[in-house]
Amino acid sequence: MTDPRKGSDAEPTTHFGFKNVPESQKAEKVAEVFHSVAAKYDLMNDLLSGGMHRLWKRFAIELSGVRSGNRVLDIAGGTGDLTKKFSHIVGPTGQVVLADINESMLKVGRDRLLDLGVAGNVEFVQADAEKLPFPDNHFDCVTIAFGLRNVTHKEDALRSMLRVLKPGGRLLVLEFSKPTNALMSKAYDAYSFAFMPLMGKLITNDSESYRYLAESIRMHPNQETLKSMMVDAGFDRVTYHNMTAGIVALHRGIKP
Amino acid sequence: MLLTGLLASVELGINRVLRLDSTALARLAPLSGKVIAVDCRSPALQLFLLPSDEGLMLAAHWEAEADCTLRAPASSLLSLALSKDKTAVLHRPDVELDGDSGVLLELAAVLQDLELDWEYEVSRWLGPVATPLLGGHLRSRARWYRQGFASLGQNLSEYLAEESRTLVGQREAQARFNELDQVKLDLERLEARFERLSRSLETKR
Repeated sequence: MTDPRKGSDAEPTTHFGFKNVPESQKAEKVAEVFHSVAAKYDLMNDLLSGGMHRLWKRFAIELSGVRSGNRVLDIAGGTGDLTKKFSHIVGPTGQVVLADINESMLKVGRDRLLDLGVAGNVEFVQADAEKLPFPDNHFDCVTIAFGLRNVTHKEDALRSMLRVLKPGGRLLVLEFSKPTNALMSKAYDAYSFAFMPLMGKLITNDSESYRYLAESIRMHPNQETLKSMMVDAGFDRVTYHNMTAGIVALHRGIKP
Repeated sequence: MLLTGLLASVELGINRVLRLDSTALARLAPLSGKVIAVDCRSPALQLFLLPSDEGLMLAAHWEAEADCTLRAPASSLLSLALSKDKTAVLHRPDVELDGDSGVLLELAAVLQDLELDWEYEVSRWLGPVATPLLGGHLRSRARWYRQGFASLGQNLSEYLAEESRTLVGQREAQARFNELDQVKLDLERLEARFERLSRSLETKR
């Protein structure tokens, strides 16, 4: 049986928004998007979500179970919203690693956190979520907020996260998902494909990146699919919580 | 999500107030990483407080175990929040403490010792010239009102007691109470004497 994702030259393809691109090019294209939006990432997040992204992240932190002295990995940590909170929770005896594949985002995050005086227990690592450069059984908690949909091989990334987690450690995946309400879904589609690129054009002069963000959200697995992907990767007791009528979902799994 | 939003707003307000005190955040820093659970019995509501050098973080639920749990009815929690002597409220019989109470006592002490520099906050909005003028004006007004109310109270009590004779003055009342006490003592002595005399008459018979 032929794989529909494969092109004529037999190189596997993957989706980049609604387009199909060779797998080897996706990371590069995603990097371009984030290089372009890095400088105004926080402002755009606030504008596009109406500040809701702060509440979604707060909920993720509440469910993380992180405590003083823990070691936390914040993958695709971007501008460091979660890292900042975790840094205060784990205290001086704990450690938080902010990892991001994108150099521009990592720089913005590092500068922002240093300016806020968040230092001492925070490390910054440029790393690919599919091949995490950390020892096995190392972290008490791994989080990836609004990053998994940009990863080329999500299954590999989930397995890599499972490897670096300690037994009993938690993975939290905060990601856009499928709205549970049909009416909300229609309104959300109109918002994503008309308003988001327009705001991108007005503020960062880059509507294409925000069109990609909207498209990539639609291509991301829904709540149940992501749950089964986490189970297949080896996570135990996988649950998810829908937020804002399913626009965002928080998946949580425990390493057995 | 609504409760999370509400707590986020309250947290923002509390931390802004805490920043008005020059020592509060430095004193909260050693409590970083500690979790205090506040368990309101009636109405049933749970809240988690996480102090750090940034202020307080409030959470509707927290997966990790709390270092200290405070269980009390809403009335006690409210008086704990408003009272100046917070440690006295913590020793009430309807207030229960589990775990490391030192964390909660330290947090209560920090909140009790708050000395808020409102003038600094106002100066950020009005500038360095207008703020002392406004502050000086408000302070003198406050002093004037305080003195005015004290003087009104004194004059009113003097008028009612001395001039209109509607009420009995404090000293006059005290003198009457002393006389009453004296009469009471005399009566008790007289009663004792009667008893003694009646007993001696009975024995003579």
